[in-house]
Amino acid sequence: MSLVMHENPAAHAHGRRVKIDVRNVDFYYGDNRALKSITLPLFANSVTAFIGPSGCGKSTLLRVLNRMYDLYPGQRATGEALLDGRNILDPAVDVNFLRSRVGMVFQKPTPFPMSIYENIAFGIRLYEKLPRSELDARVEEALRGAALWEEVKDKLDASGQSLSGGQQQRLCIARTVAIRPEVILFDEPCSALDPISTAKVEELIEELQEDFTIAIVTHNMQQAARVSDTTAFMYLGELVEFGETQRMFAAPENKRTQDYITGRFG
Amino acid sequence: MSDRAIFAARRRANALAMALSVAATAFGLVWLFLILSTLVVSGLSGMSLSVFTEMTPPPNVQGGGLLNAIVGSLVMTAIGVGIGAPIGILAGTYMAEYGRHEKLTTVTRFVNDILLSAPSIIIGLFVYGAVVVPMGRFSAIAGALALAAIVIPVVVRTTENMLLLVPNQLREAAAALGMPRANIVLTVCWRAARAGVLTGLLLAIARVSGETAPLLFTALSNQFWSLDITSAMANLPVTINNFINNPDPNWKRLAWAGALVITAAVLGLNIVARALAARSKSR
Repeated sequence: MSLVMHENPAAHAHGRRVKIDVRNVDFYYGDNRALKSITLPLFANSVTAFIGPSGCGKSTLLRVLNRMYDLYPGQRATGEALLDGRNILDPAVDVNFLRSRVGMVFQKPTPFPMSIYENIAFGIRLYEKLPRSELDARVEEALRGAALWEEVKDKLDASGQSLSGGQQQRLCIARTVAIRPEVILFDEPCSALDPISTAKVEELIEELQEDFTIAIVTHNMQQAARVSDTTAFMYLGELVEFGETQRMFAAPENKRTQDYITGRFG
Repeated sequence: MSDRAIFAARRRANALAMALSVAATAFGLVWLFLILSTLVVSGLSGMSLSVFTEMTPPPNVQGGGLLNAIVGSLVMTAIGVGIGAPIGILAGTYMAEYGRHEKLTTVTRFVNDILLSAPSIIIGLFVYGAVVVPMGRFSAIAGALALAAIVIPVVVRTTENMLLLVPNQLREAAAALGMPRANIVLTVCWRAARAGVLTGLLLAIARVSGETAPLLFTALSNQFWSLDITSAMANLPVTINNFINNPDPNWKRLAWAGALVITAAVLGLNIVARALAARSKSR
């Protein structure tokens, strides 16, 4: 970790604990190199935003952090991503255990084809055998945590797919929170939501950082500015600029960063 | 050409295309209606309670029914589907979930498509050579195996297609919770594809319940009540085939009644299948 502190002025500024330490990560879709030697820290209990034009590799980087790419043959990553010092990319790491610690919320809401209650309980049961009453409590806790409880408490048996888009997304957040991960990755969580639902999800992210380390990919500059503490600007698979969000939006060091956040390209 | 002329020409072309389409549809429907009405009229006149309570009669004897044939069909269809459905569902699951990018899947899909369109009489002949000849006699189990061979490709195809319709995002979402592969397939993908797979299964049942050719060389038929699956067993399609080709009016009457029974059963299965499909779509 001292290496990162040394290399990264942002790390100095925060003086924070590093939760995931990404070092020289390259990523390949077949022969196509989609990430080029990415090095950056994700600070514990803070929100890191990834911005950049489509195809810049920000979602790809997110999918490295829970090894989602493992599902697909022909995709591979090299380098190191240390989660509390342990390399995520080490083939010996159990991906299911990793994913129980690093949760993910996707661009499109993806409720499972089952009841609202089961959507949450399902994940919990993977890890814990709880008596019904405790399970009920955990489901309620997760739904409250995702600010959804009041809206669904009377219809927990209804299909998760019967909810509105914004509610579905919060259900997915509840489902992720319910298994108590340490890191939550958000891959453009609001791009399919209306402004009111977006505001709710952003509020939620704000609250979640007390308990979790959060990384969020977004195409929305204002969103990045609103929710994140640290921002990474990526372009064509490279990390162009990384730093404190306020500073970066007020006075970007790199010309390309400036052009992008002011909307001159991207 | 003026604008008005262009629109008039388009209207004429549209009217012509619609007239041809309606005529083609009507042409098809006319024959279907004639077939069904003949079946219903002749079938209903041959229908009586004894059709469901009495055994097939010997020739030139009045009365009798189709009980042994109906039960025989149910037994063979049940065994055939009982063997074919699990194999089909598991194979389809392999192709869609585990081996999507494997060569084995491509080859299996190709062979399955051939099997899907293979004439059923060839399947009957194959089972005759593979089971009936070594056993030394016709048997219900041979008939059931022939039906299973017809069920499998249908179920493989629908299972694979239905699972391929399950969005990848759902698999990723499940994987993101740390769910093992088997759980993802069994609890998320199967659940999402459930209605479609069930529909395919019902259509497969409907398909085999009217098959005659594969049973001719395998289960043959039986004049009497029998639940012994190692010997010949009566069944509706072969009984209909035997009875309709006989001058005995009583046999002809029963053949029509049997045809109506099968058609009604297949219609019922199709309605259930449609209802299931509609329900899954509305959710």
